[in-house]
Amino acid sequence: MKVVTGVVGNDIHVVANRLIDISLEERGFEVFNLGVNTYLEEFMDAVIETDADVLLISSLNGEAEGWCRDLKILKSQYDFRDVTFMIGGNLGVGEMDPEALVPKFQGYGFDLVFHQIDLNEGLDQLEAYLEARK
Amino acid sequence: MSQVFIDIGSTYFKVAQEGRIVQHFRDFNKNIYDDLNSKCADTVSRYAKEDIYICSSANGGLSTLIIGLTNSFSLKYAINIAFNSGINIIDTVLYSKIENEIAPREIVDVVIIVGGIDGTSGIFDERLLRYLDGVHYQNIVYVGSSGEHAFFKKHIDNIVILENIISGKLKIEEEELKQYLTDLYQADIMGKEDIKQLYAITANQIYSTPYIVNRSLPQITQRLDVADPFIVIDIGGATTDIHYSRDLVNDNIVSESGYDRLVFKKLGVYKSRESLVHTAKNNEFVFELLEHLNVTENILEEHSETATRILMQLSIFLVLYKVSKHHAAYIELKLENLNSIVLTGGITKMLSQEEAEEIILFFYKKILRFHHTPTIVLDSNYEIWTYGIKE
Repeated sequence: MKVVTGVVGNDIHVVANRLIDISLEERGFEVFNLGVNTYLEEFMDAVIETDADVLLISSLNGEAEGWCRDLKILKSQYDFRDVTFMIGGNLGVGEMDPEALVPKFQGYGFDLVFHQIDLNEGLDQLEAYLEARK
Repeated sequence: MSQVFIDIGSTYFKVAQEGRIVQHFRDFNKNIYDDLNSKCADTVSRYAKEDIYICSSANGGLSTLIIGLTNSFSLKYAINIAFNSGINIIDTVLYSKIENEIAPREIVDVVIIVGGIDGTSGIFDERLLRYLDGVHYQNIVYVGSSGEHAFFKKHIDNIVILENIISGKLKIEEEELKQYLTDLYQADIMGKEDIKQLYAITANQIYSTPYIVNRSLPQITQRLDVADPFIVIDIGGATTDIHYSRDLVNDNIVSESGYDRLVFKKLGVYKSRESLVHTAKNNEFVFELLEHLNVTENILEEHSETATRILMQLSIFLVLYKVSKHHAAYIELKLENLNSIVLTGGITKMLSQEEAEEIILFFYKKILRFHHTPTIVLDSNYEIWTYGIKE
């Protein structure tokens, strides 16, 4: 399965990005890593060019809320029905209520949302989700 | 025996020999060969055909229409390669919106189609064929996923299929398409009757001038008082080119060539004067700029030496503006990082160092909010192109 991944927005957490890349490859995914500082449009375009099954966005500095709110609009411009949209990392800024984060990002159009969840646990859940979608 | 270099421009001939460069204004009532002979027959006759090197920008270049799957990869990479091959892009089409696009009315020299990494398929369908039915093109090339080769071979006669310009890791693979476009451009130059005649005086291949200038760039820091990073702005009669180091661009393109170029086809001061004036009038800062230069907008309608000098200053301003962060164009250059700006082309014969500095300082203060400018180097002998004409 093909996964497009990278860090969204003005976020240069390259170590986390590399760890995600390695972990995905170890689990047998074909990884297209766009690296840090990536715009949402670039993620979507990479999914189209590679015909990817999963888009896995990471965000460590909490900027994802601002950068990902147009996801629904972009999803409406192409047929992404077979693509799983996942986001994980540190998704909140300041005093934000962690309980409100998951539904907020689901409302943006993500199928899987992981706020401050261990990477391997998140990837286990991704694999389970993909298995259930078959 | 030394050599002579000749640049056939849209407005001037430039002839360089033994370190001296002479310019001759073109006589448009004569063809290039006769005009060159009438002005430089003595010079040319002193050299063997093997020692005469010619480049030309007088043919206007090739035009292309690019159809791509996404903006961030297909179109971006193809646009980059086309620019660097000296091709003028007349339109780009995002494939998902192709049904709403109107085909260009003019004849397109080459259509480029791209989309998907190798292994992907089912990308293109009858929507593409319907659109292409309305396009008048002379050449068509496909540089996308290998999974679509059968579709293109089956449905489009005479299509050239080359290596995918998008690698398996979504990086740019430019060599094959660049070579194809450069060869096409070269064939176009050689096919022009005016240029064909020039082979009577040279035994060497005639190249396009933008290609030659780009080839000169690695030598500039050794020959002129220029520090990296720098840009070269070549303002001629018909077009304005910017040649720049790839270090000045923030994007996801990692290519092997160190320098790229952008062509502004309609920002010349003679042949495309009207479109330059039109662009100037539509720029929000131009009236302030004209006031700064102590002239009114009436100057744009005049045909005097002063008016031409003002237009040259405007073209410097406009071209910098178009690659600055204030203009959402194809390329944004990190102009604040520049150490040198080199000005070349016909402009160097008319503008003084002070006039060039004045306009660039205005740009840096007004647009970038900087109070110092890079070093301005005027290629007054118009010699940069001679560095690249013979390796």
